[in-house]
Amino acid sequence: MTDATSTHTTPPLKRALIYLLSHRAAGLFLFIVLLLGIVSVMNPAFLETQNIKDIAVQAAPVCIISCGLMLVLVSGEIDISVGSMMGLLAACMGAMVSESRGHLPPGMAIVLTLGIGVVIGLLNGWLVAYAGVPSIIVTLGMLTALRGVTEIVMGGSWITDLPDGIRFLGTGAFMGIPISLWTALTVILVSLWLVHRTAIGRRIYAIGSNPHAAYLAGLPIKPLKLFVFAWTGFLTGVATLVSVPQLSVVDSGIGVGLELLVVTCVVVGGTAVSGGLGNLSGVLCGVILMTMISTVLIFMKLGENATYWSRAIQGLFILGAIIADHWISRQRKS
Amino acid sequence: MKSSRQNISKGWITTAFTAVLAVFLTACGPGASNNESSNASASSDKNGSKKITICLIPKKKGLPYFTSCAAGAELAAADLGNVELIYDGPTDGSPEKQASMIEQYTLKGVDVIAVSPNDPDVVAPAMRKAREKGIKVISWDADAVQDARDYFVNQATAQAIAHGMVDTMVSDIGGPDVKAEVAIVTAYLTAANQNVWIQHMKTHIADTYPNLNLVAIKPSDEDQKLAFKVTQDLMKAYPDIKGFFGISSVSFPGAAEAVKQAGKSGEVMVTGLATPNSMKSYVKDGTVKSVVLWNTSELGYLTVMVGEALATGKLSSGATSFDAGKLGEKKIDGDHVLLGDILVFNQENIDQYDF
Amino acid sequence: MKQRILNMIWQPETFLIVLIGILLTAMGRLDASFLQWEVQRALSSHVWELAIIAIPMTLIILTAGIDLSVGSVMGLSAITTGMLFQKGLPLPLACSASLLVGIFCGFLNGWFITRMKVHPLIITLATMAAYRGMAEGISHAKPVSGFPDSFTWLGQGDWFGLPVAAWVFAVMVGIVLWMMHGRAFGVGIYAIGHNETATRFSGLRVDRYLVTLYTFSGFASALAAVLFVARRNTAKADAGMGMELGVITAVVIGGVSIFGGRGTLIGACLGVLLIHETREFVSWHWNRDELNLLALGILLILSVVFQKLLRHKQGSAI
Repeated sequence: MTDATSTHTTPPLKRALIYLLSHRAAGLFLFIVLLLGIVSVMNPAFLETQNIKDIAVQAAPVCIISCGLMLVLVSGEIDISVGSMMGLLAACMGAMVSESRGHLPPGMAIVLTLGIGVVIGLLNGWLVAYAGVPSIIVTLGMLTALRGVTEIVMGGSWITDLPDGIRFLGTGAFMGIPISLWTALTVILVSLWLVHRTAIGRRIYAIGSNPHAAYLAGLPIKPLKLFVFAWTGFLTGVATLVSVPQLSVVDSGIGVGLELLVVTCVVVGGTAVSGGLGNLSGVLCGVILMTMISTVLIFMKLGENATYWSRAIQGLFILGAIIADHWISRQRKS
Repeated sequence: MKSSRQNISKGWITTAFTAVLAVFLTACGPGASNNESSNASASSDKNGSKKITICLIPKKKGLPYFTSCAAGAELAAADLGNVELIYDGPTDGSPEKQASMIEQYTLKGVDVIAVSPNDPDVVAPAMRKAREKGIKVISWDADAVQDARDYFVNQATAQAIAHGMVDTMVSDIGGPDVKAEVAIVTAYLTAANQNVWIQHMKTHIADTYPNLNLVAIKPSDEDQKLAFKVTQDLMKAYPDIKGFFGISSVSFPGAAEAVKQAGKSGEVMVTGLATPNSMKSYVKDGTVKSVVLWNTSELGYLTVMVGEALATGKLSSGATSFDAGKLGEKKIDGDHVLLGDILVFNQENIDQYDF
Repeated sequence: MKQRILNMIWQPETFLIVLIGILLTAMGRLDASFLQWEVQRALSSHVWELAIIAIPMTLIILTAGIDLSVGSVMGLSAITTGMLFQKGLPLPLACSASLLVGIFCGFLNGWFITRMKVHPLIITLATMAAYRGMAEGISHAKPVSGFPDSFTWLGQGDWFGLPVAAWVFAVMVGIVLWMMHGRAFGVGIYAIGHNETATRFSGLRVDRYLVTLYTFSGFASALAAVLFVARRNTAKADAGMGMELGVITAVVIGGVSIFGGRGTLIGACLGVLLIHETREFVSWHWNRDELNLLALGILLILSVVFQKLLRHKQGSAI
């Protein structure tokens, strides 16, 4: 109704802008295209396939975890432990496959790593859903504690002898496309299926948008919350497996600050922290935008100055997304 | 009825909690008495042969570089026999936490504090306070503010390290006549050590190698992945780039991996500072021709020897040489105890080192 | 009467006091030297900045908000002090300027939160990155040091037997307690935390409250930054890195519910004390920094679990 009246009164350009901003994916997509345009004019090398591939490979693990975190946010909770979780999983994976430590076959290590990810996710979920501890507290505690465990697992030395079987996950390619991209694609498809085609997906949205109604409707809130955390843990494991072996050394600082990047991507992608709102296409665009920015800054050759201001620019992007949201809702009301 | 049952179950939990705590306390009990007796034995030791406590504080605990230094330090403690070694440092590499640790050790009344300052200015007040209390304070690995420490166990001067890296790079890319763009991948923008090296590298390049053009200095935030990514981006943004300096033990392997995956091994040179184990594969496949470092184990060893000598009065100011046990005679230059030359690891010798 | 006593026993504060008591006894048995007054006094200098920021954080969390930007505001304020000092401005002016910067940052947080109607978590997540980025951008990540002794006394000196920062903290706690206790201000904060919409309809100027609180938080962070710079004699863009996590952990361990409306300032102070003692003792006794992270994380989760149980107990006692 209000939309219909506003179409009559607002000028077409403004209308287009409102449309783009309210359909976050479309808006972000346009913004990405704009940014691409600018940077490729300044430095055409940006559009080379190799560069696009590199950006995609960097974005893959972030994208994989974001798919899980989006569901956590949609269900009305939050998970800020993914960075430390990735650190611990990387340490465990490394310790298991390293010749000087566990010396397990890669296949077994992969399964175990995913298993540990699920277990940590379940622990998070259990504390949130069944013990009733607020998710921000649980995952804040985990963020700190898991980092400590990682240091203990590593024991002051790094893992420098990853076998080729594991390295292949990070550096190998299938039909010319890196494994991590195939994995990310699979995760996106599974997530799409989960969100749009299953009862679980719809119910997660239901408990996020109106917990009370969901409770009255008899939805299994606790198992669902347990599921979203376990799913995020699993996806963190997947992301660890395809991203850590890109490098030859497993150090104890893997994943530091990742939680902030992932939360930023998901939120810039239009997911509401209050729950019930968010879609995958928006999150995807958020991931691409956030992983692109730093590369764009390097390609613009802004010199040393840009290095120092890059964090500020990141913050301003999030603020920009928030202000845009606010502006739309006001336009809609008027 | 229901509420009272709930009451009981909750009561149970509380009781259980108290029980757990009680168990914890009793568990602590014997430990505590053990500790007291060990303290007592330590003090009786003091009457006989003096037991010296030396605290070795690294910049960041958990880095293999420092772990290998600590291994050397433990060897020294074992060789000396009268030294109790404590090795602890901030796991996040925060200079503020380092300062807090120095303050703690000062209060504990240890004999020697050896610190590798993450940021000399931040830890200086704490180090001065320790000296006022009569504790011998030495810096190792990286120097502190001069009046805040007695001696500096110097593995190589900042200048020597910087020159070493630049010279290595120049010879790797084919001599001083080759025109080349190079870039530095550093740890943090705020890392004091790295900034000093960068300064020396800049002046050395400007003075000696006019053909070398330093195009970028990028931080990797001690994140291998970021170092990898930054290197990738730099190679594309500056297609003619010939060399990378990875000047921290995290950024070096990251940069090397990026060059290797881009298929530019041998074409784009990478050099820098790192522990040999993490660089072995790159040195072997030719991505990296040489790795600059020093003998870390000997650095830890020498630090403990100097600490012990200071605490027992064997070493006093004005000395020009120092007998460092199995390391032999070491030169003292002013208040710098010199470890010796930097080590350059290459294909021939890297297999001899395991740290 | 019996009910009232029971009620008192099942307060989170009582639980904390008992827990701190038990822990201190255990620590004393493990390492008696740790509990000496001199040692405790000297070690306390590590915690005052955190404690000062915990005061506004408590109030903010009581309104069901959160402020993640405190550490970054510290960085920006610290670097303001340093840069202005370097430019030759007298230190009192430089410090005032940095306090103003902190106040402005806090105000901006509050303004965004009340205007945009977005969860404070997101707004302050954004400003956390933005403020830290500005600090790095302005200073080019270079530290400033070499402050005169008259200034470093603020951070390193003692006044009547306690560090100066302790007195600053005491005064602030005093004022806030006085304002909270039975006054409209305190009632208003709890009301917002319980039910913001209802409070709005009851005619309370909720937005004004929130803006004030976030501004106060900015001010406290800037004050902590000045004390920090004085204590460490260095102004750096990375001052207060990770501070937000420590502060929030302390406040939550202190029994303040993250959903707002429940908890007290005294509890939060006990929470600060608890994590301070734990942190110091773990590195004092075991000399293993990595255990600290583990201990804090577990302490946080467990204490919230137990507080939840206590709350049930309290509920059934009433």
